Amino acid sequence: MGIVIAVISGKGGVGKTTAVANLGLGVAMNGKKCAVVDFDIGQRNLDMILGLENRVVYDMVQVMDGEASIKQAMIKSKVDENLHFLAASQSKDKSVLSSEKVYKLVKELKDNYDYVILDSPAGIESGFEHTIEFADAAIIVVNPEVSSIRDADRAIGILDSKSQKVKDGGEVAKYLIINRIVADMVQSGEMLRSEDILEILDIKLVGKVPEDNGVIDASNQGKPVILDKNSIAGQAYKRIAARLCGKKVEMKDIEVSDSSLFKKIAGIFK
Amino acid sequence: MQSKQYSVKVYECSIDDEDEFISFFNTNYTLFKDHLILINGELSDTIKDYLNSKSLTFLNNITLPKGRTRKALEEELNIEKRECDIDKIIAKAELEKLSNRLQNNLTVLDEMVRSGRELKIDGDLLLLNRVNSGAVIHTTGNLIITDVVEGAIRCDGNFMILTTSSKANVLFHDVEVDNDFLADRLSRVELKNREIVITPVFKKETNWVS
Repeated sequence: MGIVIAVISGKGGVGKTTAVANLGLGVAMNGKKCAVVDFDIGQRNLDMILGLENRVVYDMVQVMDGEASIKQAMIKSKVDENLHFLAASQSKDKSVLSSEKVYKLVKELKDNYDYVILDSPAGIESGFEHTIEFADAAIIVVNPEVSSIRDADRAIGILDSKSQKVKDGGEVAKYLIINRIVADMVQSGEMLRSEDILEILDIKLVGKVPEDNGVIDASNQGKPVILDKNSIAGQAYKRIAARLCGKKVEMKDIEVSDSSLFKKIAGIFK
Repeated sequence: MQSKQYSVKVYECSIDDEDEFISFFNTNYTLFKDHLILINGELSDTIKDYLNSKSLTFLNNITLPKGRTRKALEEELNIEKRECDIDKIIAKAELEKLSNRLQNNLTVLDEMVRSGRELKIDGDLLLLNRVNSGAVIHTTGNLIITDVVEGAIRCDGNFMILTTSSKANVLFHDVEVDNDFLADRLSRVELKNREIVITPVFKKETNWVS
């Protein structure tokens, strides 16, 4: 029996899909069997970021409608054989989903994989609700800016009221990833500090990811940034993936930039 | 304290001609000797000496309260009593209402009010957690929030105690409260004589840069 993790954000464009691709690969590289599912029906992106767009034959909707089996539809990653991917349908829209169909799909994936990571669509509409409905845990991705925080707050509120686990009297574990942190801007007070974000959202922090221009290039090439040993964002995702696999990895303080550290040291010798 | 009540007979007069006055008093002395003499107008030394020699008690230029009939007095007393009873009934009802609101309708919550949530509370609310930006809290009674408020507050009670950030929007009896007054410290907002009064509950300690 695996664990189902929904990756949500509320606001669009904060880096959900990138996080799913990198964490999926990271978890697989830790030796766990991992399935990533794109729930953003009608606007699928995850296949491109994973570099698997040319391999998509069957999509999630076809599996749910019984036109294909899960085994047929799952695409094995070229990079790591532990990572399997299920694409969203590009031609249909969110209305094709129903609770029964989603439950059946998630249950089957859960039985076959250690980790099932669901890429939620942005917003809080039915697509989002179906993504969180049968999740055991949720990773909330935010950017250090107020609009992203408020939308994430709203998404957490819905998660806490509409997921099946909560309805059964349990609780969905919630983890926070703060994405696209610019150390200099945090230092100068232009960007929200992670302490402030944690105070507002009141959930556990699983990792901070710094802003990294390499992410865009990696996405365009279909090679998740986690494979790049020189990328700071990639290393951050590597640490988060290890934490998800139960390893104890120390939290790196990426909000202190090198320049400000240098200033501090220089200050001592003044 | 000891007190006694008297009814006194008063003879009130004014003096035009002093000789006439003296002769009048001489002839009617037995009639006046137990009266209090009240004289309006100016009083000469001759008259004063005369009254003293006759050992009559007198007062000059004083208005005494006029007595009323017993019937009028009783009626007035009755009206007063009735008004007092009505006041008592109203006060009792008000008190009952207040204690009902204070004791029976208090909601205590210790959960974060997240964005998008709309809490409508009939009665008082004690909230021990944050109100995030985008959330709305509406109470008909008093409101106490111990953590930071960033959302919208609508309170129609007698008072509210809260701390806000600059993002909050606070309406007290449909009047917008400037959140500059509520920032960074626990403040009490109440209605006094149709005016909104804001008093800090605790002044925030100043943290000096070390």
